[in-house]
Amino acid sequence: MMTGTERVCFCISIGRCHFGNEPFSGIGIYPSRNCEQSFAPHTEAGMMEHRSAMQAAKIAIKTAVAAREPEAMSSPSGRASSGRASGHGPGLGPGLGSGPALNAVAVGGTSAAAPVPATQPRAPAPDLSRFRQSLEIFLGENAITLLSMLSLVALWYLGSFVLPPSIMPAPHVVADILWTLMQAETIWSDVIITLGRIAAAFAIAMVVSLIVGFAMGISRVAERFLDVWVICLLTMPSLVLILTIYMIAGLNDRAAVLGAAVPVIPILSINIWQGVKGVDYKLIDMGKAYHATRGRIIRSIIAPQIAPIIVASARFGLGLAWKMVLFVELLGRSDGIGYRIEFYYQMFNMGAVLAHALLFLFIMLFLEVVVLGLLERRLFRWRPAQRNL
Amino acid sequence: MEVTSLKLTNVTKVFPRKGRSAEWRAVENATFSTRPGEFVCILGPSGCGKSTLLNILSGLDDHYEGEATIFGKTVSETLESGIRVAYIFQEPRLMPWRTVRSNIEFALKTSGFVPSEWAGRIDRVLSLVELSKFADFYPLQLSGGMQQRASIARAFAIEPEVLLMDEPFSALDELTARRLRQQLLQIWGEFRSTVLFVTHNAFEATFLSDRILMMTRGPAARFCDEVELSDLPRPRSYEDVRVFETSRTVVQRLIGHIGNLDEH
Repeated sequence: MMTGTERVCFCISIGRCHFGNEPFSGIGIYPSRNCEQSFAPHTEAGMMEHRSAMQAAKIAIKTAVAAREPEAMSSPSGRASSGRASGHGPGLGPGLGSGPALNAVAVGGTSAAAPVPATQPRAPAPDLSRFRQSLEIFLGENAITLLSMLSLVALWYLGSFVLPPSIMPAPHVVADILWTLMQAETIWSDVIITLGRIAAAFAIAMVVSLIVGFAMGISRVAERFLDVWVICLLTMPSLVLILTIYMIAGLNDRAAVLGAAVPVIPILSINIWQGVKGVDYKLIDMGKAYHATRGRIIRSIIAPQIAPIIVASARFGLGLAWKMVLFVELLGRSDGIGYRIEFYYQMFNMGAVLAHALLFLFIMLFLEVVVLGLLERRLFRWRPAQRNL
Repeated sequence: MEVTSLKLTNVTKVFPRKGRSAEWRAVENATFSTRPGEFVCILGPSGCGKSTLLNILSGLDDHYEGEATIFGKTVSETLESGIRVAYIFQEPRLMPWRTVRSNIEFALKTSGFVPSEWAGRIDRVLSLVELSKFADFYPLQLSGGMQQRASIARAFAIEPEVLLMDEPFSALDELTARRLRQQLLQIWGEFRSTVLFVTHNAFEATFLSDRILMMTRGPAARFCDEVELSDLPRPRSYEDVRVFETSRTVVQRLIGHIGNLDEH
């Protein structure tokens, strides 16, 4: 695709500076039109490229510093929020609130494009105070997630500024394209087709991996025998696996689903195998010593230890299956999101490519975070809250 | 005929050779018996096969020579006959996904108690180990000592005829261990189960038990001596000079049998 057009490379530069006594690192990314020279700083053009990259790095550092120390930027939003947070310190959740929330505000203020999340009025109106308090708690709990999402969007905007719009359109442009696409019916039929393939591939991969993983975890013979299979499948490039299955089974839906499932199987199998091997035998002995029956030991002691492994594998497997389905659609199908992405890529329509990807990102995020995440939280209430190392 | 609660007759345990490691004769011709309600400590150096004996009596290990009985029944028979055996391990071995209450319910259920009795039994044992307030906590929210107390509560909740204990206080700090030993004796005083307590700590053995059985170092560990302590009055105190003096003689006799080596 890229032959004939100009080659685009990135020059990545890492810079460090000191802010007070604290060292800060930043990474700047600068697009280079000429790869050979950018890696040869002794030439004049190379030096120019290098300098631009350093500039980008400096901006990155400044953003990092601003995020850490809102006062340093002396931006009105930074000051206002710090005053507000210290005034309401105890009102926030224990140790959760003010720090991360401040960061979110400061970054929002410096990266012009991102929306500023917390711009409530400073003077507390009595009927608004409760709303404000719940908003603050919400921000306190989700500040890191929010910050993470903002940084992602900011990076995308950064990319769209430095790259031509045909290569990386800005987020709002893509959102606009997506909105138009969503009015049409074709994208929904593609989504349904792809989701169906993901569900089928995921189900096959999960069932086979559970059988293989459990067999390897329980039986030494099975472990020895299947080890070779798993390692071979794992090392084999997915591309080769998919092409082979298409060759054997023909370019049809069955082959597509199988082709998406097979590369996922070895990875999930290893996950489940290790999980089953990690079951705590001391608890099983405890059950035996208290005269628990075999069935009770399986239900009350083994199953609760296996459940987290299966949920984690399911989350992992779903993500892998979705990537593989896209791949098989791209290689040998004429419908589905993967095919659409390939189609628009051939047309050099990056806006539509990204719009399709974005739509699926939202759908998979929903499945991943909302459905599986809730299930996981419900199942594992007994775990103590994660501590920072 | 005298009633015995636990009885081992010429029990020998050999771990078969595995791969390159040779076979290991852990215990050789172990013979002893206990009276109902007796508190017996098995004292010996680490790795002499003390835990092996507990595993045989609890049914976790059924590959051995000789005979092991509980109230005249073989270990496999006790599983059906309703003789309740509880086991307190070196670690608490609570299920981390269940609350303290629910962990005890597990033992009550496997021992065949009807659910209507559960709440009363749980409240009683938890108040005995001073954990009433923590019934609905998950084990990982408790300290190590509290977890071990919960496992003691679990053991006594089923009102065991026999209680097997495998160095239950060795992983705790000395002050916590002291408190738990006193609590254990207090609760045992109410239930009067036969206790077989394995330890390598001579003072602990003296403080707790009616009788100490000493074992030699492995391989082929065997019982080599017995100290009767029923003349030490209960309740015993840590400050009691007689307990201290007795524990000194116990240590000396142990050294006499196994030599003053690098253990302890």
